[in-house]
Amino acid sequence: MSARPPPARPHIGLNPSNRFGGYSSSDWAEDDAWDSGSDEEASGSGWRTTHSRSTSSTAPKPVPKPQQNSSSSTLASSYTHVNAPSPSSYPPRPEQPPTKQGWTIITNAREDGRDEGKQIEAAQYIDHDGDLIVGDLDPDEPVVKGHNNTQVAKPGRRQCVVREDVDDIVQDPLHVIRRIPSESDPQNDGLEVSEKVLRERSIRLNRRQRFLECITNEDVSMAQLRKLSWNGVPDDLRSVAWPLLLGYLPLPAHLRISTLARKRSEYLSLVELAFARNRDALDQQIWHQIEIDVPRTRPGVPLWMHASTQKSLERILYVWAIRHPASGYVQGINDLVTPFYQVFLSAFIDSDPEEFNPALLPTEVLNAVEADSFWCLSRLLDGIQDNYIAGQPGIHRSVKRMTELVARIDPSLSAHLEAENVEFMQFAFRWMNCLLMREISVKNTIRMWDTYLAEGPDAFSQFHLYVCSAFLVQWSKKLKEMDFQGIIMFLQSLPTQNWTDYEIELLLSEAFVHYSTWHNAQSHFGK
Amino acid sequence: MADQSNFDFLFKVVLIGDSGVGKSNLLSRFTRNEFNLESKSTIGVEFATRSLAIDGKTVKAQIWDTAGQERYRAITSAYYRGAVGALLVYDISKHATYTNVTRWLKELRDHADSNIVIMLVGNKSDLKHLRAVPTDEAKSFAAENGLSFIETSALDASNVESAFQTILTDIYRIVSSKSLEQSSDPIKPSTGDSILVTPSVDPQANQGGKCC
Repeated sequence: MSARPPPARPHIGLNPSNRFGGYSSSDWAEDDAWDSGSDEEASGSGWRTTHSRSTSSTAPKPVPKPQQNSSSSTLASSYTHVNAPSPSSYPPRPEQPPTKQGWTIITNAREDGRDEGKQIEAAQYIDHDGDLIVGDLDPDEPVVKGHNNTQVAKPGRRQCVVREDVDDIVQDPLHVIRRIPSESDPQNDGLEVSEKVLRERSIRLNRRQRFLECITNEDVSMAQLRKLSWNGVPDDLRSVAWPLLLGYLPLPAHLRISTLARKRSEYLSLVELAFARNRDALDQQIWHQIEIDVPRTRPGVPLWMHASTQKSLERILYVWAIRHPASGYVQGINDLVTPFYQVFLSAFIDSDPEEFNPALLPTEVLNAVEADSFWCLSRLLDGIQDNYIAGQPGIHRSVKRMTELVARIDPSLSAHLEAENVEFMQFAFRWMNCLLMREISVKNTIRMWDTYLAEGPDAFSQFHLYVCSAFLVQWSKKLKEMDFQGIIMFLQSLPTQNWTDYEIELLLSEAFVHYSTWHNAQSHFGK
Repeated sequence: MADQSNFDFLFKVVLIGDSGVGKSNLLSRFTRNEFNLESKSTIGVEFATRSLAIDGKTVKAQIWDTAGQERYRAITSAYYRGAVGALLVYDISKHATYTNVTRWLKELRDHADSNIVIMLVGNKSDLKHLRAVPTDEAKSFAAENGLSFIETSALDASNVESAFQTILTDIYRIVSSKSLEQSSDPIKPSTGDSILVTPSVDPQANQGGKCC
């Protein structure tokens, strides 16, 4: 049977000035994102862009270029929609006052290893307290100094550090950038810094500067934001950039605070409604599976072992599932929540979110993190819902396409796999179902999603195929020396534990080259 | 490809049963002697092997661990084809997982070979204080349905070895008796029979995918 051509690429065709420059408040007022239908309409207009797909592979790291007024095609309709009642049928919820009790702000010079990649090459530094820090201290990250009402942690101990301005950030996510120490450089304390490190830092600061200029515009240019994001979003700007890219945050700045407040209270209403009655009233099949899987989500990672994070995850998954009855909750969706949750949580803290104790944050902040994660997850899943409906046709289609692609990209590997009777479904099913999250770290995933989100709403089904193909082909030499058992075992636990942004960016570049070569060559497939 | 000829028989076995009953840990206990309290859910299928000596022969078990969630049934049931054994696992502390055994048997009837050897496995036997399924009840259910039965604990390793040993021996007995009947040509697997047996003298037939 011949391959069914995938739906037309939705974000080919863009007029950035029209599409992204002209939001009126009514555009967004109508976007309640109440169900996937309205989400999709919003993204249908918000996601359009185009990338010139040059087939040239000379550039080591291709950057998609926006192109004006090329052919316009419409967004392929997503699979199922839930007809939910209008949000107006729920009483408006008053804003809950932040709970100040029971939490403490602890500040400390940051010393976690958050980085922007390539930190392996960076030198080791001694910080002010004399602690040895391996890797790259991010000069972009502010150092929180002592403050009223703060308890300064003992120097040298890794601590959960809550930012002092959480109340401002929860109102306005853009607040994260309003307190950047200009040009402050914690490393310039008499230590010699190699030219290479200085150069990299300068490139990064430069990129960061362009990002700042882009997202602080009164009306953010989606085309520009995507172009910048394709190569990675600076860690501390992600909590703003992702929701903008996903169309969850409006591009015009003046609409953001009100939209965010509305969406968050809407989510609270959804939760209240879903859990209005006792447990017996829950959809037992869905709830049962979620209950089993939540404790198995990122097991062993302190953040995800906290009861409050687990409760958040339960609510996010359950509310999404009952609003999407055609798929319901499917194992693997739990994994997809974690990058969002960690990115949004990061905005409020100055330490590694995975080590963070959420009890240190006020309820209001945790509610906001949960609600934002929910809406962003919903947007992501809208593009791949047919991965999770009965029969999982999206995954079958993707695996089939990937098989065909690899046969083109690496015929000898393809032939070897076939000779060994390895079927792509045996390993690639999981790659599609969990978007490679079982193969790479969450940190890697977050970097990868910068590019996916920059690519557009169907990147998680389309571009992802090319990433998976590039991912497989990367092990080609090894795989060709293995037999059936060796191949399957190897692909089940790939040696990606030490992967940094560097490997991910290499993978994305390779995927992009394949994408440029093959994506518009559908007739080559499925003979 | 050195691993191709060091066994006499290759048996494909599937692990099935409800989500969270401990299938993956049974498998890791058997193949790697590992138990992981912090294991993630299985997505689709996962694969592992181990070889055992039975009657002086090397029997290699190629075990496919399947995801328990209903939504994955379409993909996991594809792995029943060609399987000569199935470990149908429930959790002795969760009665619903035992109730569902009937549904899993139907799954096997619909998708697996009719002469597949099935063993009912009550896992988590270390949770004595939480026991919800009496041993005798499960034992008589197994007898009525022609299944062998065992209770295991992947956590404290009790009976795990024995469970796999038993089912593989059962399969071996059936296969070797059939081989005797058709001993005229020992190279070919018994024709017209869906039970997989791949004598080591035929390296092509030993490749895993043969039974998938």
